[in-house]
Amino acid sequence: MNQNSTTLSLYIGLLGLVTLAFGLADILVWAGASPGFSVGILEIAGDDFFRWAWGGAVMVFGGLFMLGGVKSAGSLEQFGKAVLGAVMVWIIAGTDIFARLCESIPAGEEASEFFNSVAGFVGGFAPPYSPAILLLPFTLVILYFLVTGRFDETRE
Amino acid sequence: MADTSKTVLMMGNPNVGKSALFNRLTGGDAVVSNYPGTTVDYTKGVLIESGQEYEVIDAPGTYSLEARDAAEGVAVRLISENPDATVLIVLDATRVERGLYLALEVIERGCPVIIALNMIDAARDRQIAVDARMLQKILGAPVVPTSATGGEGIRNLAETIRKAQKADIANVRARADGRFDEPARSGGCAECGRCGGC
Amino acid sequence: MALPVQERWDLVDAIARKTVTTGTHRQTLGDVLGDLTVRPLTGISVAVAVLYAFWSIFSSFAGALVTDGFMVKAFDNYWLPWLQEVWPDPASIHYFLFVGDPLAENCFEAFGMLTSGLFVSIGVVLPAVLIFYLMMTVLEDSGYLPRLAVLMDTVFHRIGLHGYAIVPAILGLGCNVPAVTATRVLETRKQRFIMMSLLAIFIPCGAQIGVMLEVIPETVGWVMLYLVIGFGIFGFVLDRIIPGSNPEILIDVPPYHWPLWDNVAKKLMNRTKSFLKDAVPFVLFGVLIVNVLYLAGIIGALADLLEPLFVIWFGVPKETVGPLVAAFLRKDLAVAQLSAIAMTPYQMITSVVLVSIYFPCVATFVVMLREGWKELAAAVAVLVATVFIYGGLIHAVGILMGVA
Repeated sequence: MNQNSTTLSLYIGLLGLVTLAFGLADILVWAGASPGFSVGILEIAGDDFFRWAWGGAVMVFGGLFMLGGVKSAGSLEQFGKAVLGAVMVWIIAGTDIFARLCESIPAGEEASEFFNSVAGFVGGFAPPYSPAILLLPFTLVILYFLVTGRFDETRE
Repeated sequence: MADTSKTVLMMGNPNVGKSALFNRLTGGDAVVSNYPGTTVDYTKGVLIESGQEYEVIDAPGTYSLEARDAAEGVAVRLISENPDATVLIVLDATRVERGLYLALEVIERGCPVIIALNMIDAARDRQIAVDARMLQKILGAPVVPTSATGGEGIRNLAETIRKAQKADIANVRARADGRFDEPARSGGCAECGRCGGC
Repeated sequence: MALPVQERWDLVDAIARKTVTTGTHRQTLGDVLGDLTVRPLTGISVAVAVLYAFWSIFSSFAGALVTDGFMVKAFDNYWLPWLQEVWPDPASIHYFLFVGDPLAENCFEAFGMLTSGLFVSIGVVLPAVLIFYLMMTVLEDSGYLPRLAVLMDTVFHRIGLHGYAIVPAILGLGCNVPAVTATRVLETRKQRFIMMSLLAIFIPCGAQIGVMLEVIPETVGWVMLYLVIGFGIFGFVLDRIIPGSNPEILIDVPPYHWPLWDNVAKKLMNRTKSFLKDAVPFVLFGVLIVNVLYLAGIIGALADLLEPLFVIWFGVPKETVGPLVAAFLRKDLAVAQLSAIAMTPYQMITSVVLVSIYFPCVATFVVMLREGWKELAAAVAVLVATVFIYGGLIHAVGILMGVA
């Protein structure tokens, strides 16, 4: 139990740091009005105040929440903070994915037909991805602990 | 359908699930949300039970019969305008003591009442046990545990509406102090002794 | 027989003691999250995230998917050309009323009842309202809304309201009609009056937001910012000048629970249905009436009369006067009309803000009347004063910033 808890703490702390860094990066790229930042499958376009400054702030909050929940992550209260931090990442990632979904269903303004082709639809989900989407799989660990209730002896 | 329609007025604190219960009882579509004060106007619906037609009115939530705001004013007006109505008092089983104040006020008015102990599932989850039988004994009116979201006890509640009772507040007081000394009524149901007596 | 209040409470205690036994309650994760979302530091961060999600989903669904993806195409490429072709006699009055400009290439610029009217109500506003109400319902049923009310309580007290004012305020972002009725959760007449006035003036409804998002996406943020600031300033002023009290209330915070999907679906259906019933006919007939007024020369006359006020005081170009006057009846389309006029971005912001704080729609008027004609009359007076003052103020800010 104890060891389990320490591992969880370590993991949440690491995730929190990365989330915080990504959030700050979102805001910085936007503020610097640079043409965007792209490494491998990671891309921070930074073109839009709403998505990058506001959304970046949400990521920063998420990272801070996770870091706030690092100490004795086994306790319910502390784990709650980590979950809330993960929820913040899910919000950003979820809306990013939803936005891609919404954009790739219709065929686009120039095309004459209404619905996108299957290839076009799938192509809408090709990389590069925003930091939040990349973080998504890593936050699922928290979801796993949440569902199995392994973080604590408490139910739910 | 011998009788004409009777009126059932649903009253209770805000956010105890009156509207959800109303929808369950009447198949109506009152707006239901998880915050107090969703219902600011009343909704009417019809329930037919054992050949008796009831007109059910879902009143806005109120903490007492002294209205504080316009929505509560609607609730108080409803009870004044329907003096013959059976009042279905909805209590939140997780916070019984809150709703009892209103329940007593209604009982003091001399309305026939029936009590729905709603959110019984949530109370169970939170390890809160409410002794419905005892409550029924003390209040002298039928008490039915229900869960509007889960559907538990709804059937029972509908069947019990006709057994609504007027209660005397002095007797309630006495029974609350542990004096169950009044003579048992000559009802068939020995368990509570107070249903359908008169 | 009635008991004195104190005795009644004693009796409540006595009964509760006899019937309720509370076991040891173990704190659940839901409780922890519930607590975190009302504590100011964490709660405000969560509110920021929720607002983000709300707006992002709103614009993805209503803007990108339904309106831009399908509706624009359907209306501009199929409906409009078809109507222009089959409707007889392009020079006639009825053509002008129902189809509008025979040379129009899209439904925003045709201004006929069956072209712009139908496109705006079905193509733009309906998806916006639908997704708005879906998210609103989820927020309501999960139990987040009362937590937002707790967080906003301090802020709202500054403007003579309390946290629960968040309910009508958010509802108003969908449609003002249910929002006006929802002001009944407020205790005093003063509070209700303040809320109704602010609703009518500063809260743009789903229809307006939808159209703004479609026609002037890059300016929406500024317009909203001006509206929020105006909401604050005028709430503060109204609180000072209107007599009456603003009692403190204890907000009841229900536990979080998962929304019941059939309940969400039912509520969404009802709200959308009542929107279709109340608002869509209004948009259609508003377009028709404005067209009739144009033909009768009334809009032109009014525009000439009010031109000095608009040009000098509000600092917007002469051409906007016509659409701004027509906006009394056709708020949503006025934004579309404005977008076709050449002006500076700041003038655009000014005129769109003006349209938003203008008279509410007729449907809102009717429900406000139901809540009391005296309040309605006073609200209209406040509204006229507000449009005048705030319009001038925005112009002044523009001059100071050197952009007007």
